[in-house]
Amino acid sequence: MTTQRKARWPHRALMLLLMIYLLLPLLGTFLYGFAKEWQTTILPQGWTLEWVAGMFQDVRFLEALWTSLYLCLISVGLSLAVMLPAVFVITVYLPKWESFMKGLVVLPYAVPGVVAAVGLIRTYSSGPIDLAGTAYLLIGAYFVVILPYMYQGIRNSLLTVSAVELLHAAELLGAKRMRAFLTVILPNIWPGIMISTLLSFSVLFGEFVLTNMLVGGHILTIQVYLYQRVAESGHLASAIAITYFIFILAISTVWMKLGKKFNGEVRG
Amino acid sequence: MNASYLELQGIRKLFGDQPVLNDVDLTIREGELVTLLGPSGCGKSTLLRCIAGLTELDGGRIRLGQQDLSNLPPRNREVGMVFQSYALFPNLTVADNIEYGLKMRGVAKKERMLRCEELLALVDLEDKRGAYPQHLSGGQQQRVALARSLAVQPKLLLLDEPLSALDAKIRKNLRTEIRQIQKRLKMTTIFVTHDQEEALTLSDRICIMNHGRIVQDGSPESIYSAPRTEFVARFIGSYNVLSRAEASRLFGEGIGQADSFALRPESVKLLMDRSDAEELAAAPANASKRTIEGTIDSIHILGNVIRYFVDAAGIRLTIDRLNDGRSLRANDQSGVRLVLDPSQLLQLEKEGA
Amino acid sequence: MKNRNRWMLLGLIPFAVMVLAFQVAPILSMLMGSFSKSGGSGFTFKQYDKILHSAFYLQAIKNSFLISAYSSIVGIIVGLLCAYSITRFSPRIRDRLLMLSNMTSNFAGVPLAFAYIILLGNNGVFTLLFKQWGWSVFADFNLYSWTGLVLVYVYFQVPLALLLLYPSFYGIRDQWKEAASLLGANRWQFWRSVGLPMLTPAIFGTLGILFANAMGAYATAYALVGGNYNLLAIRIGSLVAGDIVNQPELGNALAVLLALSTLLAVFLNHKMTKRSLEFTSEYRSKPSAKRSRGRLTGTNANAGAKEEAV
Repeated sequence: MTTQRKARWPHRALMLLLMIYLLLPLLGTFLYGFAKEWQTTILPQGWTLEWVAGMFQDVRFLEALWTSLYLCLISVGLSLAVMLPAVFVITVYLPKWESFMKGLVVLPYAVPGVVAAVGLIRTYSSGPIDLAGTAYLLIGAYFVVILPYMYQGIRNSLLTVSAVELLHAAELLGAKRMRAFLTVILPNIWPGIMISTLLSFSVLFGEFVLTNMLVGGHILTIQVYLYQRVAESGHLASAIAITYFIFILAISTVWMKLGKKFNGEVRG
Repeated sequence: MNASYLELQGIRKLFGDQPVLNDVDLTIREGELVTLLGPSGCGKSTLLRCIAGLTELDGGRIRLGQQDLSNLPPRNREVGMVFQSYALFPNLTVADNIEYGLKMRGVAKKERMLRCEELLALVDLEDKRGAYPQHLSGGQQQRVALARSLAVQPKLLLLDEPLSALDAKIRKNLRTEIRQIQKRLKMTTIFVTHDQEEALTLSDRICIMNHGRIVQDGSPESIYSAPRTEFVARFIGSYNVLSRAEASRLFGEGIGQADSFALRPESVKLLMDRSDAEELAAAPANASKRTIEGTIDSIHILGNVIRYFVDAAGIRLTIDRLNDGRSLRANDQSGVRLVLDPSQLLQLEKEGA
Repeated sequence: MKNRNRWMLLGLIPFAVMVLAFQVAPILSMLMGSFSKSGGSGFTFKQYDKILHSAFYLQAIKNSFLISAYSSIVGIIVGLLCAYSITRFSPRIRDRLLMLSNMTSNFAGVPLAFAYIILLGNNGVFTLLFKQWGWSVFADFNLYSWTGLVLVYVYFQVPLALLLLYPSFYGIRDQWKEAASLLGANRWQFWRSVGLPMLTPAIFGTLGILFANAMGAYATAYALVGGNYNLLAIRIGSLVAGDIVNQPELGNALAVLLALSTLLAVFLNHKMTKRSLEFTSEYRSKPSAKRSRGRLTGTNANAGAKEEAV
């Protein structure tokens, strides 16, 4: 029975400062991407769409965008195909292994990208399996990067819909196990899985360390491309950064909306 | 001794533009245990929080002893409070929790410890002084919470549904314990609950609340035997509430001016067999009583009481009868005769009067 | 396991293969590499010995450690204040603020470094503005130095700290404050005796995550100062995947050290999370609406935060 309270001014002031601090770099980049000339004034002296237009005429940019998109899609798809049965089996039939799994999936979280890259390079740059610089290596690395999100997401979805009970109920009603999984479990956990899929996608889209170290010279993703352009034209790079950011923002908005909807549904 | 120790005058509280408390007046004598009883949302907890100073008033005055509390912050009110969810500090041991208030008042360590031991003995938890709250059972936690609020010797103790989170059995034990402690310390106490049984067993006085008002105020006996309104009659027990038309079908004319009536379930007699009927006819006092036919719809055994649902004159009546071992009729749907006593028919006032 | 369930294990095979190939094998390989002689054979501690006797690499470790410690501590202080502040707003505004923080936590790595270059770099908008206005305080500021790096690191630590910490403020229940105030405590006394002690595990846990996050951060520093600033992650990168790959085994050893430090920090977080669960464990039996909301948003924030930690 708490009343709706209005935050007092120190809190408002603090939040205002925080938001300025957090949004200023974004805003700066945004303005820079549309600025004709910007020196020694608070706001740019003139505006232009030149940089944005230039970006879309830049074949290498479009290619990098496409490369990023399909690499991320393949990785997330692969992860989904591999993780879904695995997490299902573990959660439903082998709950004893859960703590082991937790340790396993938390590892990529504790091991920084640089370190992961070092290991991957040493394993696959020579010897029997030479994957150096290939997309296969990168997709494998991406799989590990999103392991924690996919595992947590799928597992939480299974637990929130009480998969074990659902499965038992379906089996008691005479459904075969595979059928029960496909008709009862999957539709119920799908929204939850979409959430972790989108999250994973946006994480991979922003990945730079592994990409640059593993395949930097061979495959151009949007992040690597951005890095290359930073040195050349600030304005063009701004336009690219903003485009990238808007893209990520769209994904995370969908992600949050879905999350709210899913949680709302489950909680009634 | 002052006749009115705590005095509430015209307490008003709005949430948004929704009134939660509507000009509540209440006076409490020193040492009295008053229960605020009502359904959820009736404003009883809000009233308690207003007294504690945790919720600001939109109007009215609160006086405790000689002091006007209305504008004092909670920590200067000398009011103790026990919450439904215990609200013990999880990072402090039982002893530290109990000593908390004394520490805030700057009481010396030695004195704090003495006082703490006293209270641990009072609530019978001497062996738990070093334990952390989360390792205690719900009942034990609530006893710690009680000890914690008593440690600073408050002028007034507020109990906000302290038993609602507990199991039925612990609830009954703790209820008795709270009452004993309250009597021993002569602690002026306001107890909030939505459980009428709880209210009836432990109060000196009960205030029934509905829609932000106190609708009836009196001793447990008077509240139970003479509900003033339909709301109270329904809330306090399993009263049969009858409309005027229904009452006259059962009792005939001359039942009084009211629009609705209440009939206590145990005031209706059921004639089960011949001996019952003979007994009835023999007593001259029963001349004014009326006998009508009915059908038993269902029978619920509540332990020492058997509850019958009987259809008579097109009205479903609840009738309680002491379970004396011979009164149960095995088959439902059978005919039965009811004996109604017009003197037991209570006239109810209109809501909000 | 029952016989009829055995074929279920098939579902685990692709998972096991992928994890072995891309997680376990690389880690083992890196460990082996770090104990190999330069050139790649035998067993030796020489690589570690080399690091311990090289002022250059020791400095990289020290720099990384210091920048992580500084940025984490600043991040946690700012994050703590802001997290408290955020809980004082109505749920609607709170959710907006959290969304904005979450959004900016996506803004890391190359784009972040770039944004700072635009604003505060040698020809940055603010740099030039301040020069024109004659604000000499900022004249000495150099984005490509230690201070600049700390500034940028703090930027990505703050939203992370905020998102990780704010749910634990909901663990501090209003009734504790009310109980304390009725027992005579003022606000400061309450925070000192109950509030902060209750937050301590969350604070140290978050500190662990922030530290690991900063230790492992590569993209931001790489994009900002390239190879010019001596940081552990940058050194590893250039030893293993740089233009002239000359000493991969040494890079392996440095990577092992880096991994150890981040593992330790994450382990601290793990321990602390357990501790704070212990505080609230009993109350789980009777969840209030507020707490379940806190838990829910908590998981969301965690998900958002992990994003940054990669």
